[in-house]
Amino acid sequence: MHLLEVENLTKRFGGLTAVNNVSFHADEGEIVGIIGPNGAGKTTLFNLISGFLKPTSGTVKFKGEIITGLAPHKIVNRGIARTFQVVRPFRHLPVIANVMVSMKSPRGARKIEWLKTIERKALDLLEDVGISELMLEPAENVGHGDLKRLEMARALATEPDLLMLDEPFGGLNPLETDYLIKSILRMHLDEPSRGIVIVEHKLYALMKIVQRVIVLHQGEKIAEGKPEEIAKNERVIEVYMGREM
Amino acid sequence: MVIHYLKRAYSSFAAHVFDIPPRLLALLLFMLLIFLPITKPDDYIQRMFRDIFFFATLAASWDLLVGRTGQISLGHALFFGIGAYGTALLYKYFGFPPWVTIPIAVLIGVSISPLIGSPCLRAKGPYLALVTMVLPLILNTLFKYSPLLPITGGERGIGPLPPLIPVEFFRTIGFSGRKAYPMVDLANYYLGLVLLCASSIILYKIANSKTGMVFVSILDDDLASKACGINVTRYKLIAFAISSLFAALTGATYAHVITIVNPSGFLDITLSFLPVILTFLGGIGTLYGPLVGAHIYFIIHRYVLQTTHIPYLTGTQWTFTRDLIFAAVVIILIIKWPRGIARFVTDKLQDLEEARDLDERGKWIWKKYKKEKTK
Repeated sequence: MHLLEVENLTKRFGGLTAVNNVSFHADEGEIVGIIGPNGAGKTTLFNLISGFLKPTSGTVKFKGEIITGLAPHKIVNRGIARTFQVVRPFRHLPVIANVMVSMKSPRGARKIEWLKTIERKALDLLEDVGISELMLEPAENVGHGDLKRLEMARALATEPDLLMLDEPFGGLNPLETDYLIKSILRMHLDEPSRGIVIVEHKLYALMKIVQRVIVLHQGEKIAEGKPEEIAKNERVIEVYMGREM
Repeated sequence: MVIHYLKRAYSSFAAHVFDIPPRLLALLLFMLLIFLPITKPDDYIQRMFRDIFFFATLAASWDLLVGRTGQISLGHALFFGIGAYGTALLYKYFGFPPWVTIPIAVLIGVSISPLIGSPCLRAKGPYLALVTMVLPLILNTLFKYSPLLPITGGERGIGPLPPLIPVEFFRTIGFSGRKAYPMVDLANYYLGLVLLCASSIILYKIANSKTGMVFVSILDDDLASKACGINVTRYKLIAFAISSLFAALTGATYAHVITIVNPSGFLDITLSFLPVILTFLGGIGTLYGPLVGAHIYFIIHRYVLQTTHIPYLTGTQWTFTRDLIFAAVVIILIIKWPRGIARFVTDKLQDLEEARDLDERGKWIWKKYKKEKTK
C-alpha cells in the first residue's frame, strides 16, 4: 500500500483541462518531485490533493482511504500538510504565533506533552528551519526568504505524514536555496517515514534531493523515473527546451 | 537650531514623563469613572456616561468579531434586540425578576447565533455585511406586524420593565420617599460600569488567548488557516457566539435601564451602525478602541452639539444643521486618524518610548566617547 495514491485525477475549468488523467503514488519516506513548465497543472494538482479544489473525476487515496472531496482542514488533520507557492503568512501575528496556529488544530495539538508547552514546541520548529531569532517579529516585517521557511515550519507543526511543498525555492537566492535544501534533507533524516512531495521549477535544486521525478505537461503526466533518467528523457527536454528544427 | 533643540528637549522630557504603564492608566480612568457621580451629582452627565458604558460594551463585542476575526457584520442590533426582547417577553408572560430573565435572554441570543451564523458566514466580505444588515430589519418589521401586536406591542413596545435594582430596595436601606428614585439611576450607572469593565476584561482575555490568535489568523488569511488544519467555520461560529453573547447581555441589561423595549430603541438600523462608528473612531481590532471611541462620540454628541439656541436658525433648521455638523466632525476625525484615535495615542507613546531608548543609548555612547578622550 502506498502512502499517497492518485488515480486518474482530472480537473476541468470550463473548457480548459488543467489536470488530465494523472496517476502517481508516493511512498513512506520517499521524496518525490513534480516538475513541468508554466501552466502544466502542478499547483492545481496540489490543490486537488489537499482539498482546496474538488476534482472533476478520479480519486486520491491516503493510507488506503479515499480522501477526495474532504474539506482542507480535515485532510490536514489526516496527515497531509502543504505550503503555498505564494507565501501566505498571518501578517498581524508574530512569527511564533504563526506556527502556534497550526498547533491549535486537532492534529497539531495531539502530541504536545505536559512538560513541553505549545510555545516551546513552536520555538523548536522555528529553530529547525533557522528563524528562531525572529520569533517575536510581526510576520509583516519579515523578508520573503524567511517567510518561505516560516511556511515550512507551519506545515511541519501539524506533524504531517506527507509534506507537500509548492515551489519552496521560488524567489530564494542561491545561499537561501542551499540552506533550505539542507533543512529539507535534515528533516528527512529526522523523520524517515515522512513522505515529501515537492513541486519545483528550479531543476538544479530539486534534482539534488528527490528520489523520483514526475513530469507534467499541459495537465498530463509525460514521464516518471529517477532524476538521472528524467534528465536524459528526450520528451522532457523537448518540453522544457523546445525541439531542434 | 533653537527650535530643533527645544523639540529635542521636549521629546526627551515627554519620553520620561509619559512613561505610564497602560494598566495603571486604565486603573486611573476606572477610578475617575467610579468617583464621577459622587463628585458631580448631575444626573444628565450620569445618564450620558451610562449610555457610553452600554454602547462601548456593544462596540467592543462587535470589534472582537470584525476587528479580530474579520467577519464584517452590520447587524449587531439583532442580538442587542434579541436580548432586550427576550428579557421583556419573559417578564411580560412569566413575571420573572430581571436577574432571572437576563441570563435566559442571553442564552437565547447565544443559541440563536449558530443558526444565523452557519448560513450567513458562508458569505464573505461585503456580502456578509449585507446579509447580516437585513436580519434586524426583518425582526424590526416583524415585531410591528399587526397579528403580533398583542405580543410585541408594536412601536409602543413592551414595558415598563422593572429596574435591575428596584426602588423598594433603596427604601429598605433608608432612602425614604422621592429620594429613592435618583438612587436607581445611580445604581444603573454603576451597573453599566461593571458591565463594561467585566466584559472588556473577558473580551480582552479571549482576544489575547490562543483562540484569539486563531481568530486573527482567519482575519489575515482564511485559506492559510485551513492549510494549518484549523476548522475555520467552527472558529468563525465561536467568534460569532462570543460576540452575540455580549451584545445580548448588553441589550438585556439596557432594556431594564430604559425600562421600555420597542423596535426603534433596540432593533433600529442606527444601532447596527453605532458600533461601527464607535469602533472606527477609536481604532478597529484594538478592543480598547471602541471604549475610547464611545467616550469621544457621546461627549461630542451630547455636549458640543446640544446647544438649543443659535441665531438666524429656527428649531428644525438647527436640528438638521446640528446633525450635519456632527456627522462632519465624526467624518473629519475618522479621516484624520484612519487607524483610530486610541491607536494614534498608543503609537505616539510607543514612538516616545523608542525616543527614550535612543536617548539613553546616546548618553551611553557619549559617556564612552568622553572616557576614551580622557585616556
